[in-house]
Amino acid sequence: MGLPAMFDWNSVIREVVIGATKSDGGTRAVSYRIGGGTTLPFLEKTPKPPLIAFELCDSPQYWSPIITNYCGDVVNSPAEWAKTAGSAYGADIIRLYLTSTRQRNYSDFEAVKRTVELVLDATGLPLIIEGSNEPKIDSEVFLKCGEAGQGERLLLGTAEASRYRSIAAAALAYNHSLIAQSPIDINLAKQLNILLKEIGVPQDHIVIDPYTGTLGYGFEYSYSAMERIRFSALKGDTDLAMPMICSAVDSLSVKEVRDAEPGTRDTMAVAWEFYTGIAAAAAGAEIICVRHPDSIGKLKEAFRSLAHSKVPTGGD
Amino acid sequence: MALKALDIYKILPKKNCKECGDPTCLTFAMKLAAGKADVDLCPYLDDNAKSVLGATTRPPIRRLKIGIGERSFTVGEEFVLYRHDKTFNNPPGIMLRVSDTQSRDEIASVAARVRDETFTRVGTGLMFNGITIINSSKSPQVFAKAVETVENTADLPLVLVAETTDALAAALVHCGTYRPIIHAATRSNYREMCALAKQHGCLLVVRAPDLDDLAILAKDCAAEGVQDLLLDPAPQSLNDFIVRSTAIRQLAITRTVPDLGYPVYLDAARNALRDAYLALGIVKYASVIICDPLSPEATKASLTLRQNIYTDPQKPIQMNPGIYRIGSPAKDAPVLLTVNFSLTFFTLEGYLESSRIPCFMFIIDTEGLSVLTAVASGKFSETLVRDAIKKFGLENEVSHRTLIIPGYAAPLSGRIEETTGWKVMVGPRDAADIGEFLHEEWKQ
Amino acid sequence: MRTVTFLPSYRKIDIERGKTILDAAQNAGLNMNVVCGGQGKCGKCIVYIQSGKTEFDRQKYLRFFTEEELAKGACLACQTTVQGDLQVFIPESSLIQEQKILIEHRDQKIDLRPSVRKFYVELQPPTLADPSPDLTRLLWGIQKNGGPAAEKIYVPLEVMREIPAILRHSDWKVTGTVGLVPGGYRLIDLQENDTAKRVYGAAVDLGSTTIVAYLWDLVEGKVVGVASNYNRQISCGEDILARVNYARKNGLVKLQSLAIESVNTALTTASDNAGIDREDIYEVVVAGNTVMTHMLLGIDPAYIIAEPYVPVVQRALSVAASRIGIACNRNCGLFAFPAVSDFIGGDIIADILACGMAGQEGVSLLIDIGTNFEVVLGNREWMFSCAGAAGPALEGGEVLFGMRANPGAIEKIVIDPETLIPSYSTINNLKPRGITGSGLIDLLAELFAACIIDRNGRIDTGIGNPRIRIGAHFPEYVVAWAKDTDINKDVVITENDIKNLIMSKASVHAACVTLMKEADVTRHDITAIYFAGAFGNYINKKNATIIGLIPEINPDQIRNIGNGAVTGANIALINRRERKTLDEIANRMAYIELNAEPSFMDEYTMSSFLPHTDLTLFPMVQKMLDACRIKRV
Repeated sequence: MGLPAMFDWNSVIREVVIGATKSDGGTRAVSYRIGGGTTLPFLEKTPKPPLIAFELCDSPQYWSPIITNYCGDVVNSPAEWAKTAGSAYGADIIRLYLTSTRQRNYSDFEAVKRTVELVLDATGLPLIIEGSNEPKIDSEVFLKCGEAGQGERLLLGTAEASRYRSIAAAALAYNHSLIAQSPIDINLAKQLNILLKEIGVPQDHIVIDPYTGTLGYGFEYSYSAMERIRFSALKGDTDLAMPMICSAVDSLSVKEVRDAEPGTRDTMAVAWEFYTGIAAAAAGAEIICVRHPDSIGKLKEAFRSLAHSKVPTGGD
Repeated sequence: MALKALDIYKILPKKNCKECGDPTCLTFAMKLAAGKADVDLCPYLDDNAKSVLGATTRPPIRRLKIGIGERSFTVGEEFVLYRHDKTFNNPPGIMLRVSDTQSRDEIASVAARVRDETFTRVGTGLMFNGITIINSSKSPQVFAKAVETVENTADLPLVLVAETTDALAAALVHCGTYRPIIHAATRSNYREMCALAKQHGCLLVVRAPDLDDLAILAKDCAAEGVQDLLLDPAPQSLNDFIVRSTAIRQLAITRTVPDLGYPVYLDAARNALRDAYLALGIVKYASVIICDPLSPEATKASLTLRQNIYTDPQKPIQMNPGIYRIGSPAKDAPVLLTVNFSLTFFTLEGYLESSRIPCFMFIIDTEGLSVLTAVASGKFSETLVRDAIKKFGLENEVSHRTLIIPGYAAPLSGRIEETTGWKVMVGPRDAADIGEFLHEEWKQ
Repeated sequence: MRTVTFLPSYRKIDIERGKTILDAAQNAGLNMNVVCGGQGKCGKCIVYIQSGKTEFDRQKYLRFFTEEELAKGACLACQTTVQGDLQVFIPESSLIQEQKILIEHRDQKIDLRPSVRKFYVELQPPTLADPSPDLTRLLWGIQKNGGPAAEKIYVPLEVMREIPAILRHSDWKVTGTVGLVPGGYRLIDLQENDTAKRVYGAAVDLGSTTIVAYLWDLVEGKVVGVASNYNRQISCGEDILARVNYARKNGLVKLQSLAIESVNTALTTASDNAGIDREDIYEVVVAGNTVMTHMLLGIDPAYIIAEPYVPVVQRALSVAASRIGIACNRNCGLFAFPAVSDFIGGDIIADILACGMAGQEGVSLLIDIGTNFEVVLGNREWMFSCAGAAGPALEGGEVLFGMRANPGAIEKIVIDPETLIPSYSTINNLKPRGITGSGLIDLLAELFAACIIDRNGRIDTGIGNPRIRIGAHFPEYVVAWAKDTDINKDVVITENDIKNLIMSKASVHAACVTLMKEADVTRHDITAIYFAGAFGNYINKKNATIIGLIPEINPDQIRNIGNGAVTGANIALINRRERKTLDEIANRMAYIELNAEPSFMDEYTMSSFLPHTDLTLFPMVQKMLDACRIKRV
């Protein structure tokens, strides 16, 4: 097309593998290699479409009623739900939140292991597992998750600057990758990656979650944080050269969705997830997480067009 | 490009005469470097120095005013590729599309919608900006009629899209003097299009899928005397759009290809991918976006995205200070004090609403700073709280004298109590914990 | 009225019911330790009620007490009200103690050009043939003896009135004192006989904590006496903000008189030690921060501390010392240093004068750290300054066992990287009671170098060592076991303390970088870093670099100028030309409001890491880290 944008990048985004197929010693039907970007998102000759992760949980009482109503009975079985997410909703990845561990004084760590195993059996998609909300049980929960998914190249979530040792230990012990989340700030993202590096987590086992405030609720900060991270990575900052994941968890609870007419609440939720997701992809996120099944198809179609590239023809 | 304060200082007279209004030449130099002062304020600079300092650099992307009157809007005048580098200045105009083959009523109703529909967020009314009329009928008369219908309904900025200059000429009879945009000049018709644009003083879109061609075409149009141009890189896919639009912006702001220094036009009127084009157009440098009338959901989402992206990253959106009610609070309901940073406000409001405890949000003016920064900078102070209580008559709103302050403001609790005489409870640091806090602490 | 008796001193005071014990202690002249200004936030003013009725919400302040203290009926003096006649025991730890004060003068070759000079003259008595007036006769005599031209000397009325008697009583042999004041020369004193050798001046550092006074013989050009003492305003609040608030509530008069009293005490001590008469002190030069200077002169400081932070006056001021109650010669002049802004006050201008950076071609960085910090970057052409709140952490506040440089404070620490056992030294070699700011910097650097904390300052609780444990609220490291201390408590540093320290050091570093960016210089361009203030004198330069308090430069280029305020005041006292440059320095300087600087928060976040997020800015620390990591593996 002539006259390409000219950037003097001098580095690339590190690649991270999610999921292991049989040939890699796992049981997944597919595995993904994300990262590898050499310039701004989608400006490559053969850009990769972002992956879409469907978020579900093992204890739906903690989930938005918009979703549980929409998905129906399947939400009562994480395994069934995960299966449906792959076969019917069209997700690329399953992100399982172990919300059951949020019960007070939770201690049934064998159940954690069982849930993860059931979900792994039910779907061939790679898995992101979100451990506990409670630092005291982090260690057990993450070790059980790691153990249950041994060989599957899980993505474990979520490490933060104040609690990263347990999850890192589990990731290291069972060769999983992990999500490193920091509160919408490029420097804090970098610091967490350094902390992880310094306790031995390989840098190609880290996915950055810069934290996504949803559309209208701080999204602009997240958008710029993602752009800055990508920019610094391409400029040679190896501590930031990891792919990014975006999960605008508040999308379903914002005023616009809450106050929508009951008949349009689903479409409002999807509009919110969609606009947030596609803008985040433009800023550099390579895994877009959603909770509404209808967001998946819509985003997929857009990502297809976004990743579509033509061989330069040199003009009309 | 931009000179540093010290470079400027070296050129200044260093007299510290204060005639510019600044205490020292160095502070004046700092203001000049930040673009916050005018060189002419210094009476002791010779012309040579002034030209070095004052070379008022033309914005790398041309500033265009579209339409006239109340609803006219400005685009272009952008300087950066990333909003965090400074800010994006002028949000894109979204122009809802009608076809001249639609009925008069249909056309008028879209025009009325753009005229009237407002969606208020953070104290700002968000609206679509104008109407795009497509000459699907190929008939100049029908086209003119459709434009007339729109003109009779509302005074809105317009985009006229037709394949022939005849059709455009017929339509411009009705709106030519209102600075509409006409679409599109191509290699084959640009001379006639330029003549038309010049005749009516309207803005012209130039269209070519190859950026080389686009640049040359823009240059040719400018040579014909039409400088108010927009660029349509005619994307065939979202990827085409992002690649071309990014290249145009990058080559323009670096002044590598000055002929690409015009705002970008994007046709987002695609069936299945409309929302995607619209969203991408907003984040990736489009200045005028045309699309079909949107559902209420897509309307809210797209206008919100535009508001987000075009917020000045160095100036957070602020809420008006005052008392806000969650539910219908009684006189003994809790009062939660926080700052007027919009994100803080909305986050807290959301969690308060879901806690289902009626209460008052008491918003003080920290100039849009978050709690942490406001406390650190001293903007959030006990006197501010005291004055706000007085100003907004909080004493008359509630029967008790207890304030709940954000966890990060805990260091101020003693001083607030002392200054205001109100009892202070320190709330949680994370707004997500506010429900639990109210249920457990307030109830006691 | 209720009577409060303080033990162990048995000092008694009558006070209204409902006042706090702190009020009573202050009225009784006891200097209690109130870091927070009496807000119940620092927990340093613990007292024990022996008998009598009080009101105190102990539940609210439980965190400040050990079980043992609770058992003895501990309460906070500032939060306890007097209800009946009381006997109150004040432990030593709750009183402000003798502080280790820096008294040091940097040698600098400064010409002796004082603004006050004496002229001994022997005049011819008037005759019928020579009937010129007494005054003319006197001023001509001074002119002939090398003084300024007679017509240029202004003579105030009160001196004029004394002239006839003194001339005749001394048989026309007198000493006239001529001072250079704004507006010209002034005959400020007339004495009988030859007192020309007795011209003294005082240079005073008016600190918010400490007053330091140097007494100079302005004829010989040498220091004849030095004294220092506390700023008595401390009883009205530890920090500036607390004092301005005190002034708002209770008026300025008390604070001004406390400041004057403190200066007078220092001057008295110094002159007594030197064996001179205070009547022979003809000039006092005062360098103080903007608020202190305002308070000393009785100018309302209230508008300095609130937006838009406007001082009443910025330029250097000369006033009659006697008008504000400074006890020296009745016509002694007082010169107060100029200020740049609310935060960059006369003390910082004095620092600049002391380190000489305003005359150098190379770029220097001047850092003055206290509860607030001030940073100046510049050379002889330009200067940028900024100020910020470091938080009291670096001075020992906001840290559980932080304390000021009092006896028993740990001021140097080294941790054995194998055993993780610390060795430390304390002031006066007493058993430890707490840790000073410089000790905390050592501790932070040592914890870091020993890999006990990560770069975020979090303690690795996985390390199996008895000194690393989970405390009541946070993980902590035990510096000294209770049995080895003077306070019968384990002296620890908690993760929260470390966080506060990192936040403090980050503000200082971010301020440095913000100025460097404004001036477009890198750490390689910096030819010198000067630490000013007492704190800087005890700081371990290497450790300050390891934790990232300052940009990394060659350690040989880091200098402690000690009490720059008093050094600057000394220079201004003995050389009136140097004094003239002060307004020019103040004028040349640009003040950068960090809060308005969009990049400051970014720099702050980057600096909130050990030593910094970008390790390439700290090559020496990087090498050190690599070395200790190898050791760990």
